[in-house]
Amino acid sequence: MNGYGFRQAARMERIKLGSVRSTWWLAIAAVVSMAAAGAGVGLGYRSHTPVATGAQILNNSLGGAIVAQLLLGALGVLMVTGEYGTGMIRSTFAAVPRRRIVVAAKAAVCGGAALTIGLVASFAGYLGGQLAIRGTAIPAASLGDGPILRAVLLTGVYLGATALIGVGIGTIVRHSGAAIGTLFGLMFVPMIVAGLFGESGIAVGRFVPLLMLLNSIAVTSPIPGLFAGWVSVLLMCGYAAAAILCGGLLLRHRDA
Amino acid sequence: MLPSVIRVIELRELTKRYGRRVAVDGLSVRVQPGVVTGFLGPNGSGKSTTMRMILGLDAPDRGEALIGGVPYPDLKWPLRTVGALLDAGAFHPGRSARAHLAALAASNDIPGSRVEQVLRIVGLSDAATRRAGTYSLGMRQRLGVAVALLGDPGVLLLDEPVNGLDPEGIRWIRDLLRGLAAEGRTVFVSSHLIAEMALTADRLVVIGRGRLLAETTVAELAAGDDSLEDAFFRLTSQATDYRGVGAS
Ligand SMILES: Nc1ncnc2c1ncn2[C@@H]1O[C@H](COP(=O)(O)OP(=O)(O)OP(=O)(O)O)[C@@H](O)[C@H]1O
Ligand SMILES: [Mg+2]
Repeated sequence: MNGYGFRQAARMERIKLGSVRSTWWLAIAAVVSMAAAGAGVGLGYRSHTPVATGAQILNNSLGGAIVAQLLLGALGVLMVTGEYGTGMIRSTFAAVPRRRIVVAAKAAVCGGAALTIGLVASFAGYLGGQLAIRGTAIPAASLGDGPILRAVLLTGVYLGATALIGVGIGTIVRHSGAAIGTLFGLMFVPMIVAGLFGESGIAVGRFVPLLMLLNSIAVTSPIPGLFAGWVSVLLMCGYAAAAILCGGLLLRHRDA
Repeated sequence: MLPSVIRVIELRELTKRYGRRVAVDGLSVRVQPGVVTGFLGPNGSGKSTTMRMILGLDAPDRGEALIGGVPYPDLKWPLRTVGALLDAGAFHPGRSARAHLAALAASNDIPGSRVEQVLRIVGLSDAATRRAGTYSLGMRQRLGVAVALLGDPGVLLLDEPVNGLDPEGIRWIRDLLRGLAAEGRTVFVSSHLIAEMALTADRLVVIGRGRLLAETTVAELAAGDDSLEDAFFRLTSQATDYRGVGAS
């Protein structure tokens, strides 16, 4: 009986996450948006000539991740800002006054949940695409094929990391609207900026989340100039760690 | 139950500034177990700020607040040591009362059976699955009281608990607090309703503009003046920031 710690805080966060509807809506929306995008892409390719390759189908069926990352990012943000907005944060900090334990528990619980949802969504996108091209001449992309499976798995991990970036930004910004705005801005603005540099933009672009997703992670082989998929995903996890660390440092001296 | 000395709330030179405004100014008080201590002061006198500092939610600029000699953040099981009702609304409106209590219970290894128990005590068992955002003000206040009681703590801090309660609810709170104090707990309860405090509290801590004006008993304060209300106004008249004037 040495007092509360991470284990207790994590149990609290798990109950909290599962007991608000927004969690379930965001999870369902993430899976549905990826499945729908996958199926849409598959249907579009049915009449495509010349016949599309399995890699093409896969790359594009995972495109729903653009939407899913925003939904799961919002999930991460709301886990923190939802408490600041309502006053719940004072109950939380009164129960667990060592605030870094709260942040660590939120990150662990959110990361686990978002990784699970992300993987399910990613497989849903893949399946949507494959089911939609059934019975055509387009070759099926098999999960037994290394690069295919890797792209699907890494996309799921990318989505989990996005939620963690959300937790970090939520902890720093504390206000739901501002934090979600910041997160969306960080997802899209760097991509637009990198685009302005044309060909040489790739040197910067390989560090930009959305470009990494579309050209290095959710693809069977990355575009030249970009990192390998797993490096890109590690980079995303690094961003998440930096954001959460930053939030944790700020939290210590702030009034709740 | 814990030995009574570890249930003493001690404020030492507690000071808090927000920008240039001093909300709490060198406040030193000892709140003892076994009695209900009323915490009185006009609007904006620093009662809520003091309570937040005791709970480690706001950091003092100077001084410290100790529970049994320990700063709140160093408590091993905070909810089992101190139960607090801050504002009615320290919960997520989308979560049911039961889930809210279950989450907080889990954080301090409080058994799930205690959740049902406190729901019964505050009379929310039938509404426990409803989202807390749909509660009336009085029901929110009851949920806050349930949270405070959750860990069966030896120290209770309540910021304006009668806010929004109907007459029956007010009497219920009064009896509840007196019963908890009679069991040897420390009960520190803020209010600006002097008449209510006269019925509930034994001891009184009166502040104005963040400073201690008096540490007294209800009986002492009432002696000398026509009414308790007059005595309160006499004490606080020099230290009231927000005062209305008659409409003409
Ligand atoms: N977060 C904050 N930022 C800036 N000023 C604050 C903050 N919290 C409180 N104050 C100021 O500190 C002073 C004390 O406020 P506090 O809420 O502690 O008073 P109170 O005694 O609880 O009043 P009431 O009886 O109205 O609840 C007030 O002047 C208030 O404006
Ligand atoms: Mg107040």
